[in-house]
Amino acid sequence: MILKEKESQILQEQLYYNVIGPGLETYILPKKGYQKKFAIFSTRFGSIDNCFRVNGETFEVPEGIAHFLEHKLFEDEEGNAFDRFAALGASSNAFTSFNQTSYLFSCTENFTESLELLLDFVQEPYFDEKSVSKEQGIIEQEILMYEDHPQWRVFFNLLEALYQVHPVRIDIAGTVESIRKITPEVLYQCYYTFYHPRNMALFVVGDVSPEAVAAQVEQNLGRKKYASWKGVKNLYPDEPEEINHSRVEHKMVVSDPIINIGFKDNLAQGIKGEKLFRREIITELLLEIIFGNSEPLYQELYEEGLIDEGFDAAYTVEPQYSHTLIGGETRNPELFYQKIMEEISRVKKNGINQEQLERHRRNFMGKFMRRFNSLEFIANNFSSYRFKDIDFFAFPAVLQGITLSEVNGRLEEHFVENSHAVSLIHPQDD
Amino acid sequence: MTAPTMRKELTNRVQFCHLPGDKFKTITINIYIHQDLSHELASRTALLPAVMERGTKRFPDTLSLRREMENLYGAEISTDIGKKGERHIIAISLELVRPDFFPQEALLHKGVDLLRNILCEPLVENGGFRDEYVKQEKKQLSREIRGLINDKLSYSLERCIQEMCRGERYQVFKYGNLDSLEQIDARGLYSYCQGLLQNNPIDVYMVGPGNISGSGSLMEELLDFPRNEKAQEITPADVYVDKNRDIQFKEEIIPVHQANLVLGYRTNVDYSHALYYPLLFFNGILGGFPHSKLFQNVREKSSLAYFVFSRLERHKGIMMAVAGIDYSRYQEALEIMKEQVEEIARGNITSTEMENTRRGLMHQLRVKEDSPSQLISFYLDAHVGGRNHSFEEVMEKILQVSREEVAEVAQKVKLDTVYLLRGKKGE
Repeated sequence: MILKEKESQILQEQLYYNVIGPGLETYILPKKGYQKKFAIFSTRFGSIDNCFRVNGETFEVPEGIAHFLEHKLFEDEEGNAFDRFAALGASSNAFTSFNQTSYLFSCTENFTESLELLLDFVQEPYFDEKSVSKEQGIIEQEILMYEDHPQWRVFFNLLEALYQVHPVRIDIAGTVESIRKITPEVLYQCYYTFYHPRNMALFVVGDVSPEAVAAQVEQNLGRKKYASWKGVKNLYPDEPEEINHSRVEHKMVVSDPIINIGFKDNLAQGIKGEKLFRREIITELLLEIIFGNSEPLYQELYEEGLIDEGFDAAYTVEPQYSHTLIGGETRNPELFYQKIMEEISRVKKNGINQEQLERHRRNFMGKFMRRFNSLEFIANNFSSYRFKDIDFFAFPAVLQGITLSEVNGRLEEHFVENSHAVSLIHPQDD
Repeated sequence: MTAPTMRKELTNRVQFCHLPGDKFKTITINIYIHQDLSHELASRTALLPAVMERGTKRFPDTLSLRREMENLYGAEISTDIGKKGERHIIAISLELVRPDFFPQEALLHKGVDLLRNILCEPLVENGGFRDEYVKQEKKQLSREIRGLINDKLSYSLERCIQEMCRGERYQVFKYGNLDSLEQIDARGLYSYCQGLLQNNPIDVYMVGPGNISGSGSLMEELLDFPRNEKAQEITPADVYVDKNRDIQFKEEIIPVHQANLVLGYRTNVDYSHALYYPLLFFNGILGGFPHSKLFQNVREKSSLAYFVFSRLERHKGIMMAVAGIDYSRYQEALEIMKEQVEEIARGNITSTEMENTRRGLMHQLRVKEDSPSQLISFYLDAHVGGRNHSFEEVMEKILQVSREEVAEVAQKVKLDTVYLLRGKKGE
């Protein structure tokens, strides 16, 4: 197997990659001197993929099924993969996001065996009635745990306010009611739709030999039989430009109110690849320049006790949906809201200056590089950006190329008055 | 396998330890100031670092300090408060991009100078810290103290500790308490700061390239303040506590969907005890991993919980086992959890459980070398525990632990307090 290579000079890292077997994109990043080896095997199947068409047939599946499938894939007739990883001394886990499901392990011995196990258990589904009903009890507790999590609640309440129909507004784990509708049949349907190597990616990082890893993956896939890839068309409802509600309020046991302000970004729809990445980095820079802790707004709010260090502004962009979220705990949500909106208008009037851009650019660059200490950071980000047709290694080049007029242009278009919503959690007495 | 550590006592008797780490993209410097954990001092100790990082003589306002950090390619100076046993620890750390990535910038020199400013040249007005910074940070810290309730799991664990360790120093919350926080003023806090720097044990760790002669003199520059001949001794934690009482049960009812059940155990084994390594196995077999008895029996077999685990406070000799459950099935969960501890004490440990735990512990140990902060915390723990074992020595110990020793340590472990946080539903 000949591997392609890509070097990042600034990071001093070398990436090896190729498409293996029936179409599995495989990436390997050697990290000399690390004890840990980390692998993550992901599929383009997330919580928003509840409605899809395969072979001309349309399926609508229960909310939370991608996450449920993630839990169940660890088990088969003889036992579960957690235990097999444990016997190898490896530590395994999995997660489901809006857009993907990922299975991963880290190990410091038995790497070949662990990688083999990862490739095998993810590609050998086994679902039966008994284990499905057992899992419903476990996931019910997971859902209830999030019900009591104020930051999680304020966030999903905001998404429900911003989006009228798009499934991003639904909890990743689904609801207690929706997961009761899940059966082995529908799990198999989803599995065979989304878990084809053509729809997946593997990322391996650590002190490994790229050639040996690639050869192992090739052999593993070579032993398995695959149906030909028929493709899948995800069907998302047409999300209107308008928000759903401008304000949602909720009570919970918290010490202070929590507020999230969201701006729905309709203009990002349909953008892909590097253009999308550029939009993301420009917007993140813009948010840091307005709301970052080195800027006057943050300082004022902090000194007046309206925010704490948890205050944050972040942009999420996917080809399907995108929004900015500004929020934190505050003693006075009305004043918080007013100050945020006033600052946005003020910055819009005055614009961003070159000093701000350069300073934040340096900050972004350094932070990005520092995070390359973490194997998990590298593999997780590389994989999820790959699913958006984005090369994560391009970050430094894209960041360097951003101009002041782009940032100011983004400022002009992003904060549209009637595209924002507010989610509030008020303290509830015991 | 492990790179050698390099140690040096600086001229002002600060202990310095350089951990070589060429593979990282960063240089990390962590400074730890040790203090006794006590009700009277806790709020002051917790407040101090937050005030220190607000401004310095050279960068009196917080914005200019933060902007300097951004210009140094996102240098990060952060402070934290830790509690290890009955010891309260202030951490002040600097993380920089490794300077050779930007050779024209003198990043290390500038970064260390910034840290030195915070530590040695604070902003002093009228014989104290700047009054408004102290007032603002008092408000922030009081939010932190009141905010414990926002995370139901942390709240439940902390509440169980408070009930279990009532009357012991360990019950003190690491962020202090509202009463003593109220009484702090800018001058008092500044003199407390000077006292700490002068008297209390301070140690510094650095992870990054270089050798001890270079980094040692850099540290002498950084930590340039006078210290007493002999540092104040930290009072050892009280590990062997026998209150001679029945198992306590404490219940709290607030509007929540999920109940949190916490079992507080006394391990009766401290860091320097011969059974310390068997204790790590005990916790691992009980609830440290997905292969552990709690996960297997509470979650996988009985479908009672999504999260269930146990964890040790090794410097205090306590262990907490916790699960998020449906209140209607609370008795069942409690019985299963208690039963798992008894099983281990009876020696019902399979060789799979034994070996998987051994591998798991080895893995957790080895990966510490891949993260500067975990590497430092390994040495900090050894220092606090008074037992400076190297990575190799710890591995050797882990390889030797037997099933009999695990059962023996399990027999020492005693349930002290059961704490339940739950909603009204199902009463």
